[in-house]
Amino acid sequence: MESVQSPATVTSRRGRLRRAGVAARQVVLVVASASALLPLYAMLTAAFKGQNDYLAHPLGLPLSPSGAAFSTALSSGFPHWLLNSILVAGASVLISLMLATLAAYAFSRMPFPGRSVSFTLMISLMVVPPIVMLIPLFELMSDLNLVNTYQSVIIIYAGLMLPFSIYLLTSFFNTIPRELLEAGSIDGAGHFRSLISIILPLAMPALVTLGIVNLLWAWNELLIALVLLQDDSMKTLMVGITIFQSHNNLNVPVTMAGLLIATIPIVVIYLAGQRFFVQGLAAGAVKE
Amino acid sequence: MNGTMAAGRQFRPARRRRVAAWLRPIPYILPSIAAIVLIFAYPLVRLVRESTQQSYAGVTKDVGLTNYQFVLTDSDFITAVTHNLLLLLCVPILILLSVLFAVILNEAARGRRIYSTVLFLPYVLSVPVISVLFNYLLQLNGGVNSILRALGLGAIAQDWLGSESWALPSLMAVIVWKELGFGIMLFFARIISLPNELWEAGRVDGAGWWRLHWHITLPQLRGIIEFYAVVESITMLSWVFAYVYVISSGTGGPGTSTLVTELYIYKSAFGYGTNNLNIASAASAILFVGTVVLMFINFRVRRVDLHA
Amino acid sequence: MRFLRTPAIRAAAASLLAGIVALGAVPAHAHRASSQTTLVMWWWGEQEAQGAKGWLDETIRLYEKAHPDIVIRPVLQTTNGLVPSFETAAKAHRGPDIQYLWGGINTLAEAWPGYIVPMSDYLPAGELKHYLNTSEDTYNGKVWSAPWYTQPSFPLLYNKDFFKRAGLDPNNPPQTWSQFLAACAKLKKLGVTPIAGGLQDGFYGGWLFSMLGNQNLNTAKEMMAASVGKADITSSKYSEWWQKLAEMRAKGYWNNDINSLQLYQAQDLFVQGKAAMTNIAGSDIRKFVKLVGVNKVGVMRMPVFGTGKLAHTFGSSSQTLAIPAFSQHKKEAAQFIMFTHTSERMVAFYRETGSIPADDRFPQNLITLPQQKLVWGWMIHQGGPYLENFIPVQLDSDGNFAGTQKIFAGDSVSSVISLQAKVLNKWQRTAPGELMAFQNWFKL
Repeated sequence: MESVQSPATVTSRRGRLRRAGVAARQVVLVVASASALLPLYAMLTAAFKGQNDYLAHPLGLPLSPSGAAFSTALSSGFPHWLLNSILVAGASVLISLMLATLAAYAFSRMPFPGRSVSFTLMISLMVVPPIVMLIPLFELMSDLNLVNTYQSVIIIYAGLMLPFSIYLLTSFFNTIPRELLEAGSIDGAGHFRSLISIILPLAMPALVTLGIVNLLWAWNELLIALVLLQDDSMKTLMVGITIFQSHNNLNVPVTMAGLLIATIPIVVIYLAGQRFFVQGLAAGAVKE
Repeated sequence: MNGTMAAGRQFRPARRRRVAAWLRPIPYILPSIAAIVLIFAYPLVRLVRESTQQSYAGVTKDVGLTNYQFVLTDSDFITAVTHNLLLLLCVPILILLSVLFAVILNEAARGRRIYSTVLFLPYVLSVPVISVLFNYLLQLNGGVNSILRALGLGAIAQDWLGSESWALPSLMAVIVWKELGFGIMLFFARIISLPNELWEAGRVDGAGWWRLHWHITLPQLRGIIEFYAVVESITMLSWVFAYVYVISSGTGGPGTSTLVTELYIYKSAFGYGTNNLNIASAASAILFVGTVVLMFINFRVRRVDLHA
Repeated sequence: MRFLRTPAIRAAAASLLAGIVALGAVPAHAHRASSQTTLVMWWWGEQEAQGAKGWLDETIRLYEKAHPDIVIRPVLQTTNGLVPSFETAAKAHRGPDIQYLWGGINTLAEAWPGYIVPMSDYLPAGELKHYLNTSEDTYNGKVWSAPWYTQPSFPLLYNKDFFKRAGLDPNNPPQTWSQFLAACAKLKKLGVTPIAGGLQDGFYGGWLFSMLGNQNLNTAKEMMAASVGKADITSSKYSEWWQKLAEMRAKGYWNNDINSLQLYQAQDLFVQGKAAMTNIAGSDIRKFVKLVGVNKVGVMRMPVFGTGKLAHTFGSSSQTLAIPAFSQHKKEAAQFIMFTHTSERMVAFYRETGSIPADDRFPQNLITLPQQKLVWGWMIHQGGPYLENFIPVQLDSDGNFAGTQKIFAGDSVSSVISLQAKVLNKWQRTAPGELMAFQNWFKL
């Protein structure tokens, strides 16, 4: 902070210290940034190399950049896996957000017997590892003939996200001053209207945060997708990556090109919406 | 709609209102309850049943607590649970580092935008992607060691993922590397939202950097730190499968040095040569009980004030 | 009740409904409405018989042309995922119509719980009798899967240039263990990695077990007896090979990154000229010989330290195709499997992959590559059981895979030997059904 608004006139000793402080911070940040970027750098440079070039200089710049690895990678299942991931993650996040908003509103604004107990029970489910339910869910989906369908994974993801979503939204709704609602009507249909017209606009940051956290969660999910989506055309990007790596583990540039293809969309989205992304993510939790 | 409701409110008899008040939350919470019964409650009940059985070739036998007895005495299961607990060590490291970076980031003279963009980046990358990457980078002759050797630090180069003593710490480092961005992001956003005056008084008093942040910044971050700690603890206990599965090529190796509970259950249920849903169910049930106990001991589930 | 008409419940109902509609709109695993029959084939093999994918695509194209009512969808599985994917699918009573399986226990472990049907019920005896290595897939008088291509298990390639430079006779590779160690010592002195392996994904541990762990045994049955507890797996007869492996490690004869490389990545060290020897899949020998140079590559068998009969045999196995019990098109699947054994397709398979179809009708005079002729001769004349195919799979994955990783991480030999005993004990306790079938297999 001091450096941000560093006054022009300071005693020379303090000035030196301050300058040293500024330099030290820059060094720390540069080193941290480099380590954050190293894997990306490795991925990017390797993808444009030939296998021999990679083996000779795994981290060097490509000697004769070539896009050959990309054509191999693109001809694999990536486009399809990407679509599957978008569908599964998107649908499950939307469903869980809808359900969680309604429930969180009830927990936050509607007194009912057993509210406290049921809320505690529901949010304690947050710490139950999803693997615990994996086997019975797999058997349930087998019984329902839903293995290898998007539905199975969407329902499971949405359900698994619920406890955390309800927890986060309830705590956020609780911070909205009661007076804001008192102004509107409280009972009967008033509840739904106040949810839609008062609470939701105020809760946008929290909803965005939650949406992002859940989206990243569903996007990265491997275990359930691995077990429930076995057909090649149904696989998600995360499962696809493991397959792709296994099929191409002798050709590192092709593997890296594949990883890059899988990464570019999300990095572009992140860079484009960075301000929104960061603010949304922070605002939701900050208020809480 | 509005008018109807207003009229309804005027004429509705008192008794009917009480009943309605009772039932009114139902449409709000019922869908969630239905989903939770389907995804949590029913599976847990089924889990308990299956964990007391043994099935093979279509024949199912009740075996009582045999499966539990087996899992609880299986050294691999104990190893896996221990590893999850060790992974919890990542949480304080993550908090410390991300608060530190957030503070330094905020104090950077130049390039705050670009540094923040870069430092947050690992968090948006997919777990399998970075696991595959680090699988290459951390090989004995991979990128990380080649940098160390170039810096004259060849002596500390290790077979990071191939040695039994380094594999788990290396895994932890990868997880920290990836999860750190989330913490920095949260704390940085909170810090920039604080008014500058907050630190002015401290500065006037001549408080040093550590004292300033210890007494002024940290208390402001408490709520988010708690939130971050909860999220990351849950990750360490129950959400590291993707890292381990990809980094160890599905083995949890070398030996069992990166085996975690999730992988133990997955391998028991669907692994090469060990596909026993009943044993896996027993392990799942034990894990469930364990997390519940741990939750009561450690987390003391934060009670969200319902009467705001 | 009044509240039922409130917007809240309508919204709740609408969101539920929307969810259900959205889910319903996504087609559940699409079944072709037409009269065509779709055969799904989950396979593996491109990884050890390069070119198999191209051959399979061509074979399917030809087959579909001849049978317009059949559509075949091949799905190449991963090495780690081949068995887990199938078993997961089988537990859900669905999955492919043709499933690739490794031989021996890998086939029978799917047969015993009823996941696959006997191949001998679907292929005419006159056809099946031509297939090579069916004995390892036989149980209760039935053959459970159809050998596709042979897997000579496993030749040890060596680089003749390195041998010459190290003062070794490139035409007389070591045959005994002491010769082998002496050769390794000379190669190491030369500054080259004597032998390369990759254990990260585990499978090479099974290879080593099969080629070293068999050396004091006379029959596969002896190994099976130890598996069910009728012989002591910790006795030196069964465990001497761990000691040999640990000695080699201590002397630095293996690549130092053996634990961080996968099996196929390590073989690549040989191709890159960084290692003097490596084990390869016999099915892929042409690829390696061509990559490094016909005049540069020598081939040898695993040198011998043991006193058992199996030490002088060469692993004879075939990779197979099976028909899952839940397939709706078993007959069609069998027809396609037979098509892969037609003479034109077998010759094409050899042409594309360089690996030898598992069929005695394949014209063996096509095999001209000297290194491959040698290996083929070992398999035909000194062929023996490939030991990994005759142990509980769990002993392989939890004992051999993990055990070799531990040896190379520096663990003691005794700890790895007790690990094997522990794994067997676990298996016997938790898989009584499989144990019974296993005992019945060779009438133990």
